[in-house]
Amino acid sequence: MAAKSYNIPELDKKLADRRYHLSDTNPEFTQKILKTSRTIANMCYQCGTCTGSCPSAPRSSYRIRLFMRRCVLGLENEALTDPDLWLCTTCYSCTDRCPRDIAPTDVIMAMRNLAFKRDIVPKNFLQTVQLIYTSGHGVPNNDVNRAARTKLGLPADPPTTHSYPEFIKGIQKIMDHYELKENADRILKGD
Amino acid sequence: MHEYAFFLGCIAPNRYPGCEASAIKTSEKVGIKLLPLKGASCCPAPGAFGSIDLNVWYAMAARNLVLAEEMKKDIALICNGCYKSIWEVNHILKHNDELRDNVNEVLAEIDMQFKGTIDVWHLAELYYDDKICGVQKIKDSVTTPLSGAKVAAHYGCHLMKPKKERHFGDTENPMWFEELIGALGAEPIQYRNKMQCCGAGGGVRGYDIVHALDITNEKLINIQEAGADAITELCPFCQLQFDRGQIEIKEKFGDVYNIPVLHYNELLGLAQGMSPQDLALDLHAIDCTPFLQKVL
Repeated sequence: MAAKSYNIPELDKKLADRRYHLSDTNPEFTQKILKTSRTIANMCYQCGTCTGSCPSAPRSSYRIRLFMRRCVLGLENEALTDPDLWLCTTCYSCTDRCPRDIAPTDVIMAMRNLAFKRDIVPKNFLQTVQLIYTSGHGVPNNDVNRAARTKLGLPADPPTTHSYPEFIKGIQKIMDHYELKENADRILKGD
Repeated sequence: MHEYAFFLGCIAPNRYPGCEASAIKTSEKVGIKLLPLKGASCCPAPGAFGSIDLNVWYAMAARNLVLAEEMKKDIALICNGCYKSIWEVNHILKHNDELRDNVNEVLAEIDMQFKGTIDVWHLAELYYDDKICGVQKIKDSVTTPLSGAKVAAHYGCHLMKPKKERHFGDTENPMWFEELIGALGAEPIQYRNKMQCCGAGGGVRGYDIVHALDITNEKLINIQEAGADAITELCPFCQLQFDRGQIEIKEKFGDVYNIPVLHYNELLGLAQGMSPQDLALDLHAIDCTPFLQKVL
């Protein structure tokens, strides 16, 4: 069916073109997200159940539905540079309620992975990486806690990498395989 | 005696050691033996690590799983965040050959291999499971019923959700945790939006603490409205967010609740006759005394 003519050449031309195109669209972005998130994000029909279920939505400008649209349209820059990307608490309420059986939470995780590849990542995530690299724990032991543990009849350090530091080398090898510590140090230094 | 490798995580052993001590002692009274999982690390934190690079998250969690595979024991744990990493990565790697091969390629560098020979459980689901323990057995183990106390159940997110990948059924209004609380003689209360997140997950506590606390504050309003004497949960990270969070909320928003926050294992410990000293309740930011006076 031909588009209705409004006798405005520029508008008529736009209406005749049924492709959706924006200059900053990257179709590969959508494909990358589908692969990493292992969910059918392209099936989103924008009902908004996700945003309606989201505990972050009422107190910020974070809209999970918007990120789902950005995924479908391949709006890579818009999605990855938006600071709201990091306001998802990963509570999976949207995922449990999605009528299309999509996991929007996993779409956010995939986008965060892609953002990290471009050095876009909040500091606190990288600090956790550094802590685990040196101690094996994201929240390491301290002296107050050691004293409390001893009083409880527990060993001052738990039987984890804290008591068996010889296991830390293996953890470091895994992280080095993905150059995670190196990248974390580099990005933090750049700040 | 059912034996499990006890995966500790970070916050339980390093911030709330009472959770660890009570898990070991209370489970033994209902026929569950928790053995140390030597050399385990952070699960790693699903919010922080999963957000940065899912491949590292798979491999690091797999290393912890292999330690238990080598012990030939299923893993039991007491933290929803750990459950997300350890249970979910175990599940994914058992069912996804491509990811499993990728992980094993990395693990080979440290002479390890993920075989997929064990299962992962939250201690609370073992308590609820009639084949292992069951609510009646919990009830029978109680020597000091926590009668007269109204307790709000916080299920947390990563134990039961996403529901289609888990096995807990309904995530809109589940009641099994309330049954476990009722078994201790306490009165489990219902409150508005009980399945809402504590606000801490996904790295948000570290990224934007005011945003995280605002979510916590909404839950606390609802819990206070229902007249709770205490909050109980299944996750030391939720515990930290509610417990230390109340101090931070007081500083940042001026709202005061003073509702004690106890892990279910700590509550069970009290009901089985453990003293507040045995549980290091003095390490909690919110004073538990009013609650203790009511029940002991």
